[in-house]
Amino acid sequence: MQNKTKLQSNGTVLVVGGGLGGIRAALDLAEARKDVILVDKAPCIGGLMAQLDRTFPTNNCDLCTVAPFTAKEGRGGHLDMRGLTTVTAVSGKEGNFTASLMTAPRFINVEKCTACGECLRQFPQCVSFAPGLDPRAPTCMRYPKATPYAYVIDMAKCGDKEALRKCCPVGAIEPDALPKAEQVQCGSIIMAAGADLFDPSHLDYFGYAAQPDVVTSLEYERMLSASGPTGGKLLRPSNGQPPKRVAWIQCVGSRGLQKGAASYCSSACCMFALKEAIVTRERFDQGIETTIFYMDMRTFGKDYEKYLTRAKEQYGVRLVHARPHDVLRPEGVDKLQVIYTLDEAPKHITEEFDMVVLSTGFKMNADVKKLAEDLGVELYADGFPKTDCFNAVATSVPGVYVCGTIQGGKDIPETMTQASAASCLAGGKVAITPRPRAEAPAIMPETVEAPKVGVLVTMCGQDTSVIDSKALVEYAEKIPHVVCAAVFDTSCGCAVTLESLKSTLMAKGCNRVVIAGSSPRYELGKYQALLGQMGINKYLIEVANIREQVAWVHGDQPQEANAKARQMLAVALANVIAAKPLADHVVATNKNALVVGGGVTGMTAALELADQGAQVYLVEKSTELGGVARNLVKTIEGGDVRALLAGLAEKTTKHPNIKVFTKTQVVDHSGQAGLFRTGLSVDGAYKEIEHGAAILATGATPNQPKAFLLGENSRVCNQLDLQKVVSERLQEVKKWNNVVMIQCVGSRDADNPNCSRLCCQSSIKNALAILKENPNVRIFVLYRDLRTYGRFEEYYQKARDLGVIFVRYKTDNPPQVEAAGNFVNVTYTDAIMGRQVVVSADCVGLSTGFVASRESNQALAKVFGLPLTEDGYFAEMHVKLRPVDMDKAGFFVAGTAHSPKVIFENLTQARAAASRALTVLANDTLVREANFAHVDRNRCAACLICVRVCPFDVPRITVDDQGLGCSCTDDKGLGRSYIDPAKCHGCGTCAAECPAKAIQLNQFEDAQILASLDQLLAKVNV
Amino acid sequence: MEQFEPVIVAFCCHYCAYTAADTAGSQRLSYPAGVKIVRVPCTGKVDAKHLLTAFEKGADGVLVAGCLVGDCHFKDGNVKAARRVEFTKKYLQEIGIEAERLEMAGMSAGQGKEFAETATAITEKIRALGPSPVKGKNSCCGKAA
Repeated sequence: MQNKTKLQSNGTVLVVGGGLGGIRAALDLAEARKDVILVDKAPCIGGLMAQLDRTFPTNNCDLCTVAPFTAKEGRGGHLDMRGLTTVTAVSGKEGNFTASLMTAPRFINVEKCTACGECLRQFPQCVSFAPGLDPRAPTCMRYPKATPYAYVIDMAKCGDKEALRKCCPVGAIEPDALPKAEQVQCGSIIMAAGADLFDPSHLDYFGYAAQPDVVTSLEYERMLSASGPTGGKLLRPSNGQPPKRVAWIQCVGSRGLQKGAASYCSSACCMFALKEAIVTRERFDQGIETTIFYMDMRTFGKDYEKYLTRAKEQYGVRLVHARPHDVLRPEGVDKLQVIYTLDEAPKHITEEFDMVVLSTGFKMNADVKKLAEDLGVELYADGFPKTDCFNAVATSVPGVYVCGTIQGGKDIPETMTQASAASCLAGGKVAITPRPRAEAPAIMPETVEAPKVGVLVTMCGQDTSVIDSKALVEYAEKIPHVVCAAVFDTSCGCAVTLESLKSTLMAKGCNRVVIAGSSPRYELGKYQALLGQMGINKYLIEVANIREQVAWVHGDQPQEANAKARQMLAVALANVIAAKPLADHVVATNKNALVVGGGVTGMTAALELADQGAQVYLVEKSTELGGVARNLVKTIEGGDVRALLAGLAEKTTKHPNIKVFTKTQVVDHSGQAGLFRTGLSVDGAYKEIEHGAAILATGATPNQPKAFLLGENSRVCNQLDLQKVVSERLQEVKKWNNVVMIQCVGSRDADNPNCSRLCCQSSIKNALAILKENPNVRIFVLYRDLRTYGRFEEYYQKARDLGVIFVRYKTDNPPQVEAAGNFVNVTYTDAIMGRQVVVSADCVGLSTGFVASRESNQALAKVFGLPLTEDGYFAEMHVKLRPVDMDKAGFFVAGTAHSPKVIFENLTQARAAASRALTVLANDTLVREANFAHVDRNRCAACLICVRVCPFDVPRITVDDQGLGCSCTDDKGLGRSYIDPAKCHGCGTCAAECPAKAIQLNQFEDAQILASLDQLLAKVNV
Repeated sequence: MEQFEPVIVAFCCHYCAYTAADTAGSQRLSYPAGVKIVRVPCTGKVDAKHLLTAFEKGADGVLVAGCLVGDCHFKDGNVKAARRVEFTKKYLQEIGIEAERLEMAGMSAGQGKEFAETATAITEKIRALGPSPVKGKNSCCGKAA
């Protein structure tokens, strides 16, 4: 018998799949005060990412990065997470779906389970998850630090139920638990169920099934991981010895290469192979030779090209342009033989490796496909859902959205962007559910007890192995005021949890905490939350940055690194002892939004926000809306860009919630998230607006490099102009005999080191359009790496099938272009023929890509106080996990202002930025950090220096300490400086300049800085 | 005699230079361990008094590292800091400490390489200058010159 309940709920979004995409979508919705149910068939959330070791391009540990997002937090009661749950049926339509959920029994009561691990010890077959290598045991936690943090039991493998029940000290094991079915109602559905990885077992020539030393990229990742089957040791599965030579083979299961392979490119494999090769050399042994056999290096993401350059130049990763056709291990030989052929020499080359990693791509999961079919979603032949060509997260069924790898292979930033975009659209279908806010923890009284400091040295596997954490703890224990010190192994395999740490700290009566670990820029918030739970003021914590600023920079000098770590810890201790408890500041939110840039991205973001009730100011510097998209005709899929543009412009100008300002520039700006003031120059007239959030969608500039006669010869043009010629001057196109396209012109070079991402598909789009009008034309595409990622690969294949000639060139031997009468002669070297070829071209199309609008970006960055990347694009907060958020709270970036990308990707980012902005705008109040300056009125002489130096005009001379009274000194000299905490930005300039030292900046008081200097310059015991 | 290892105090602003130092770490770019970072919200917060205190307590050199001019999160804190650094340099000279021991630098958050290079360059410069003259007079602070 099954338990049956029926839940009545209006205005809920159902998110299917608790991987990174599902979590992001659910959190966005919950933060925007929409109710969400998040279900995952696995016992805990985390998906694929929780199994990875590190992520590109920062090479951070994934689990560390993802853990704060999956941690159990209230989210204002809007988020309901359910593990072991599948969706069995869905009926109804947009606005009113009914989903049947089935929750399998965990056989463990999550409320009671303390994750002590006793069941695991008594049933010792239990191992952690390792795909392909994992005999699932009776109790199994899928990955350490799982959410929910509890075990799960596979009852089918359990012989003695009673023994199992009794082994649990808290009685959490429930062998007789039953599956639970229920129905939930929801307004919209987000499918974020992920994808499977290609299984190469049937490809006998790669030897995956027969050779233990041939592994997939995910298995290799698990070997590198501290939580993996080898505990983070890289060893050959065949003999347990460390490998000396490792090879990667790309495109396994992608690009239609092998039996059963998908026709698309999986998009993420080039980057993860590079990452694995770098990590192998960096973390295990500089002596391990790493070789990647590739077809095209597809490092097309933001700053990914630089990662490729680093892999080659800094880490010596060897790249071989070849497709190995066999991986063999002859009888009696200890090594694997990889056999391949090079372009320039048509003979077999046999090379020996200790391990071979197959970079397997993504493919559709059968269960997910079935659910999609049940929902009536149209699918491609390979099972992935079809999505709109201008809306990558919308399926054919209204109200059903997709994000992440269920939509096609992709990396984490793209998944995060799609997740936020899906949450924007799905959230638009349901209303905000008002729920009472959780009470903020009470502020500690002014009286400060004697400091009792708890010190936590956080270590993560190999990450900071140069630091002797035990010695650091012993050192800390000897420092006055330290009541306890411990190593907190944040790495995956450890049993210490945040919960147990909390009880240790509380038992010792700690009232202040020092964390020695990664940069305070990353995890301070997590530990502040821990302090909150312990009833300690969240500002009585200090972080010693011994990872980024010690272990990672002095890794080759253990003695210096350890001495410096001790010193940094001493500094943090001195600082925390001098720290004062502080109160956060709560302010009311302004619910308007500013969108800068009136291209397709800006208009889409504005419309999404306006549709959800925000008043939007859309600012465009030119005279009309549309941006660079005005130069486009169609997308490669055939989407009509002109119709899209006309539709967006009409909706935007007519929307009652959108106010469009053309010929307008941003001139000044002040305030903080929730309440910004921005000054505009509207056709020369000054206007000030107030807004709670802002989205930058200022676009990028089509590149016009001086190369290959561009701008000098009328037969040479860029791809944008070529597209116009093809659509407008048909008669001319029909007469062409030869067309040459040259890729990477003005991209991937010294001046513009990054890949412009969209050029490969745009040249193929133009090639196909030309062939449609003139099937007899010969088209040559001269390329370096053809980067038709995702489904663009299918158009590449189509172009090849139609006879387009693709020729690789190398940067040391680029094509030559010269005018020859009525034609343009293009000379290139054909590697296979081994000689030069001259093409007399009617038209030369250069793929010139995009560059950042450096000057206008710099001007905006200056007004808003935002960071730019080295290339001049706006820098996001976190390349992996916060791809549209900016460092300044309340600011978001979308479209080509972030990095070059194609239209549908820009629109996805626009929706993602809107979703993120809604997390600010949907809340009535915002909590601000206590980082403001305060005045000691007894010391203030009202000299006005602070009034003059403040960049934001905050200090005023007032009679009382609440900011009331006249703004000048009265006869009795009562006026003193007053700094409004709501307006202060916390830079501390006034504190530095105040001659009487009457002003102190919270968290950075003079006493703290002097205490730091004392420690930094004290003689260190080495 | 063993090689003189200068101790440099680097006041780094949270938004640019401190983040650049983190970036240097994530790119595993090394620089001399004698460079010790003090995090401040903005270089505008760096008091002339703190610069002098660092020398008084035995620093061989002091680096004030902020955002590039025009990139300050707080409009012009770095420009104000540069002014204060110039003023402090004159003062240092008056009291017999080489002005070159104090330096202001600007870098963006993404410029990990610049941070490592700046930290290395100032260390080499100070190494050439030798230990701070303050140290010789104050036996409690490190090795004598």
